Amino acid sequence: MSIVVVGLSHRTSPVELRERFAFAEAKIPDALQKLRSEGLATEAVILSTCNRVELYIATPNEPAKATRELKQFFASVHAQAEPNGQELYSLHEPHSVHHLFKVACGLDSMVLGETEILGQLKSAYDLALKSGHTGARLNKAFQRAFNVAKQVRTETNIQRGSISVASVAVELAEKIFSTLEGHEVMVIGAGDTSEKTARALLSRGAKSIVVANRSHDRAEVLAKDLGGRAVKFDDWSREFEKVDIAISSTAAPHHILDRAKLEPLMKLRRNRPLLLIDIAVPRDIDPEVNHLDNVYLYNVDDLQSIADDYLGQRKEEIAKCEAIIEEKARAVVQCDVLREEGSVVRGAWCVNPK
Amino acid sequence: MIVDWFTGIGSDRHLFLLAVFLYGVSMIYSVFLWRKGFRRDDRVNYLLLLGAFTLHSTALFQRGFSLNRCPVNNLFEAMVFFTWATTLAYLVIGLMPRLRFVGAFVSPVLFSVGVFALMPSLDPPHGDKPVFSGGLQSLHAATIMLAYGAFGLCAAAAAMFLTQQHNLKFDKLRAMLSLLPSIERLDKVASRLALVGFVLLTIGLAAGGQIPHKEGVVYWKETKVLWSALLWLMYAVLLFGHWRAAFTGRRFAIGLIGIFVFIVLTFWGTNLLSTLHNP
Repeated sequence: MSIVVVGLSHRTSPVELRERFAFAEAKIPDALQKLRSEGLATEAVILSTCNRVELYIATPNEPAKATRELKQFFASVHAQAEPNGQELYSLHEPHSVHHLFKVACGLDSMVLGETEILGQLKSAYDLALKSGHTGARLNKAFQRAFNVAKQVRTETNIQRGSISVASVAVELAEKIFSTLEGHEVMVIGAGDTSEKTARALLSRGAKSIVVANRSHDRAEVLAKDLGGRAVKFDDWSREFEKVDIAISSTAAPHHILDRAKLEPLMKLRRNRPLLLIDIAVPRDIDPEVNHLDNVYLYNVDDLQSIADDYLGQRKEEIAKCEAIIEEKARAVVQCDVLREEGSVVRGAWCVNPK
Repeated sequence: MIVDWFTGIGSDRHLFLLAVFLYGVSMIYSVFLWRKGFRRDDRVNYLLLLGAFTLHSTALFQRGFSLNRCPVNNLFEAMVFFTWATTLAYLVIGLMPRLRFVGAFVSPVLFSVGVFALMPSLDPPHGDKPVFSGGLQSLHAATIMLAYGAFGLCAAAAAMFLTQQHNLKFDKLRAMLSLLPSIERLDKVASRLALVGFVLLTIGLAAGGQIPHKEGVVYWKETKVLWSALLWLMYAVLLFGHWRAAFTGRRFAIGLIGIFVFIVLTFWGTNLLSTLHNP
């Protein structure tokens, strides 16, 4: 009995293809049942997310035969033509177990080291487990994958730092303010990135959002969406007294905020710390304001370069993660081989091989 | 001399010397922490300072029991008490993991003052009566030393504030990677410690004013009294300015560090010039 994986991911296929082969959650139990009733698998788990669609099966069949049959199943169950060999990959032991561990650790994700995939993998496994489609092989492989993901998270820096502009902005805000609770955020210019940043700040407890935009209608729509309030664009500086974080992304060709304008506003604010995030190009805020005491200014390049540095650091951690995964995957496969050969294998050795 | 050193093993000065040695190790370790950008939890430094504090406390209590009073009777004892109070305050606030890095800023102060305190001339043998004795004197000396401890610690928090602020403005990745507390929190810690120190200083000075002094000494013209009044005034102005939002952020932090440096540089000199403290 060996574990085989067949699937599509963001690495091998575009979203147009992946969406055609995605499994709706409600249809997964039937698909699992079909895999087993047709003799294609003894145990099966289906993982279907926006970035990957994968079948994990345990089968007594020859890996080559199992792979061929699974690819046909993949096409027929969706009533689609079979994708080509580069788009639809297949892996068998030990690579299949290694791949499962990499996926669990976020090493195969579009955002390197992200943790959402682990939750999705757990849900996929739970669904198969509750429907009775898993057994000793997949149970052990998946549970070990979850343990490895935890180990990688605690022993390496693969998940450290924020790698999107919005999350870097939130992290910066938390370096300035003890907590975001009670701090008001102003969005000047209703762009996509500023909206995402405002949402991220709100999710971390920011008190409320004030939106100022040249198109007041757009400001009102965004303010309603974010649970805040809209103000007229020409009035934004009057609101500044209460604001602690301002995100600016207007299309203005010149600076809308400079040192001369900010200095009196800082006095009105009793010199409380002020975080300014300038996402606009050309920039909305004169860089000179960063020299004012208690003012912290970041432009889009600052945020992007921090995100890139974090990503670089995550990439440096890949070798460490790979070493952990390699060791644990080999242990799982060797343990199963010994069991199948009828060797006496102590349970503890398989649970925690040294 | 070497024989003297060995025969002194276990004495309060010897234990204090070992504590100062650990403060020195902590200071060297702090340089590495600083160079690495305060990225890892600072347990090693905390444990080093805890070890030093244990030796320091033993030295302090040993001296106190030998005198049967609060051991703040000459300059050596005053500095031992001041550094002990500073370390104690650090160990308490260092229970919060992110504030543990204050140790990296406080250990150079503890080491420098400790080395200075060990100069033999600062610890002359006590005669029948120590230089400062009596309940009111003990209250005066103890509260003043505790106040200096609080000022030392708030200067360390202010130095952390300046480090973090500089990084946030000009070395952004370093700021992101460091585990230093937020600047808002550092500002709060520094201002509260300064306030505690100010209250203790006020009590200490008020107690000092009640101590009967020698005839012929004009109290309000005495060097140490004038120096203390100046110190009290500087902290009062700084704290009032902070409350009124005139001294905030960088200015406030520089003010706290500046006044503390002034204390360290002038404390000994004013004591030598004082007819009350150096009769």
